[in-house]
Amino acid sequence: MTQPLDGLKVIEIGGTVSVSAAGKKFADFGADVIKIEPPQISEVRKIAPFPDDIFHIDKGAVHLAFDTSKRSIVVDHLTNSGKEIIQRLGSKANLIIMDIPAKEALDLINIFKDGDSLLTNIVTITPHGMTGPYKDRIENDLTLFGWSTRSHRHSITGREPLRYGPYAGVVQIGSTAAAVGMAAIWGSRSEGMSRLVDVAGVEALMGNVDSGFFLWAVNGALQPRSAGQSTGLYPMGAYKCKDGYMLFSAGRDPVYSRLCNAIGRPDLSTDKRFTDPVEKPKHFEAFKEILEEWLSTRTKYEAFDELQEKGVMCCPVLDASELENDRQSVHRKSYITRNQDGIGDITIAGPPFRMNGLHSDAWQSKPAPSFSQHTNEILEEYGYSKQETIALFRAGVTT
Amino acid sequence: MTSNLLQGINVLEISEVWAGPFGCSLMGDLGADVIKVESYPRKSETRNAGDPRLDPRVAEGDGPIYERINTHHHGNRNKRNIALDIRTSEGREVLTRLIRWGDILVESFSAGTIDRLGYGWDTIKEINEKITMLSLAGWGQEGPYLGRIMFGVGFDAMAGHSLIRGYQDGTPEEIIPILHSDATVPLTWIVAVLGSLMERDRTGKGSYIDLAQIEDLAWQFPGIISDWKMNNRVAKPVANSDPSIVPHGCYQSAGEDSWINIVAENDSQWQNLAAMMDHSEWAEIGHSWSSIVGRIDSRDEIDSHINQFTKQYDAFDLADKLQAQGIIAAPVLSPPDPLMSPQLHDRNWFQIVDHPYIPERLLGGFLWKIEPDAPSWDKRAALVGENNDEILMQLGFSSDDIAQMRSKEIIGDAYDEATR
Repeated sequence: MTQPLDGLKVIEIGGTVSVSAAGKKFADFGADVIKIEPPQISEVRKIAPFPDDIFHIDKGAVHLAFDTSKRSIVVDHLTNSGKEIIQRLGSKANLIIMDIPAKEALDLINIFKDGDSLLTNIVTITPHGMTGPYKDRIENDLTLFGWSTRSHRHSITGREPLRYGPYAGVVQIGSTAAAVGMAAIWGSRSEGMSRLVDVAGVEALMGNVDSGFFLWAVNGALQPRSAGQSTGLYPMGAYKCKDGYMLFSAGRDPVYSRLCNAIGRPDLSTDKRFTDPVEKPKHFEAFKEILEEWLSTRTKYEAFDELQEKGVMCCPVLDASELENDRQSVHRKSYITRNQDGIGDITIAGPPFRMNGLHSDAWQSKPAPSFSQHTNEILEEYGYSKQETIALFRAGVTT
Repeated sequence: MTSNLLQGINVLEISEVWAGPFGCSLMGDLGADVIKVESYPRKSETRNAGDPRLDPRVAEGDGPIYERINTHHHGNRNKRNIALDIRTSEGREVLTRLIRWGDILVESFSAGTIDRLGYGWDTIKEINEKITMLSLAGWGQEGPYLGRIMFGVGFDAMAGHSLIRGYQDGTPEEIIPILHSDATVPLTWIVAVLGSLMERDRTGKGSYIDLAQIEDLAWQFPGIISDWKMNNRVAKPVANSDPSIVPHGCYQSAGEDSWINIVAENDSQWQNLAAMMDHSEWAEIGHSWSSIVGRIDSRDEIDSHINQFTKQYDAFDLADKLQAQGIIAAPVLSPPDPLMSPQLHDRNWFQIVDHPYIPERLLGGFLWKIEPDAPSWDKRAALVGENNDEILMQLGFSSDDIAQMRSKEIIGDAYDEATR
């Protein structure tokens, strides 16, 4: 049973949500990912929800989902003894990803340098990058999102800008590190050169396609904040149906005309009130009434089936209780439930992509490790004697 | 000269909007040779605009509107472009040769469409057994929703994210459209396709990758499904707050529609913030707010005090002062604000791109810095069909062949503005 990333060794350092999300991309597809955790407990282990709302170092949902298929070792990277362990582990790694303050990262980078040469690929994740006047600033998920210009777009005029769901920003930053880290591994395989990659959280978010800056920069025009149902180009947004809401993206032809036909009102597709770009905004409420009358006699799944059959871009708005039982999720096993030692059954998302078939072995998610579960095993594997291991524990370098 | 990490990898893009094209640009940033096969004679989705007088996506200028739309530019740098009608026999011959050339094929049609066009995986691997084919349909390539169509905002709704990211007093009708999957799916598929090339090194054969955009969103939000399964609780929006941290929010700053995010994660940061607000007593033992439990009990009152404080200051200036005291604080940037960041200028993040139809402006930079071979914006978003001749000659077509294809409108370098 082989996996695509079999044979790769990846080290992650820092214990943050970002670096945990980055490491997951490698671990579930076969890489040997060693999670180096700080003695003070990784951030990712502290995040709720917990089963029955009782906190536990090994039971946080984000840890259980993002640390799958990894091995856990605790090392204090601020001590010289800890750096020596990291040097030994890193010397055999194809990639090291670290999310620690810039000053600390620089210290660790230096132990992997031989003159000007870098001995392995390193990706650093920091809020603002390894250089510049803000390099030592501290940020979190909320403030990074605010920097990115995406909060500003994600708001209703006159109200405070919003981040997305909690940790969306830092997970995206981790995914960015994984993508470029994978490219660095490929590059060093093909030409033997290691890279030092500097992922600044602000740049990773701001440079992506949905950034407000990116859209503004081309033409200098501010996009209108399109909160909720668009009243200019409709139907776009969520509309009430019998048992919840349907989300539409059907404001433009040919999809708009398909919708008009599907709800038995082909006349609306040529009615100037709803097709003339100047007139259309004046008649939003009239259209909404017509559409919601049709939707009021259908559940969201009935409307979804009926409208998609006619080529209308729409889908139901689901809440947490509905995700697992959605027909497509069931068919594809988009969520999996399995036993986790000490907890019982837990449910996590399945593979983010399928390689060579829906049920191939490319993705094999193993339970997340308990805190420091593999410290002894890894130290022994990397040549430390039992006495040395005890000494490291006694000194507080490991736990 | 751009980064060389992916030098030697040929990427063939038959994809629209962002989830496919932006990932191809990132591959180009990393050194891959990317050829975009652009729809012809129908315009790509990102080249469609409404009335240019009303549509803020269109940059000023005299060139064709479809070359001046912002949504097209930033998903299409570092590629070559051929505009090709693949429904014709000649177009199919070109596409077949491109498939032989490619290491990776990226397509994002609705599921089943590429099969109907005659280029399903079985055909593709017959043409080139070493190629990796990536399909990016929203719900994937198998299952009861096969062939259904939607944009990223819909996948967000079906992944449960839309209902946890609004205002706490909001309704579903206020769901703000976002394109998070367009931003994050490319980051996942880069790992996928490079993994498949590593697999190819072992097997000699390419792979087929089925990435359902909704599944790539699902893993990013483990709290949604877990809170339901662990605690039988349907997650609700927390907006900018954090149930375990006070203060943790977005506050008004001086000026219209101006905001600052402030977080004090622990007692020490709170102590510094209280001192900055001239209320050191709020952090002294004996005051209920000196402990996290007391602060959580008084969230609204504390937020109200902070709002009164922040209203007096410019967001950038105040964030500088708070950061100097070790407090997590940052301005909330409106789209033009990044140009005021000394950090981004110091890191030479902005890029100047020379384009024939849009004004010279500072555009956004890259997602990463790389040593020793930094990325560069070698190729601006190509004009439609800009590299037709070069690509066709590379594929072995003669000048006469190319002229014939042009006269028969198999290839082209202009769209009819009136058509969609």
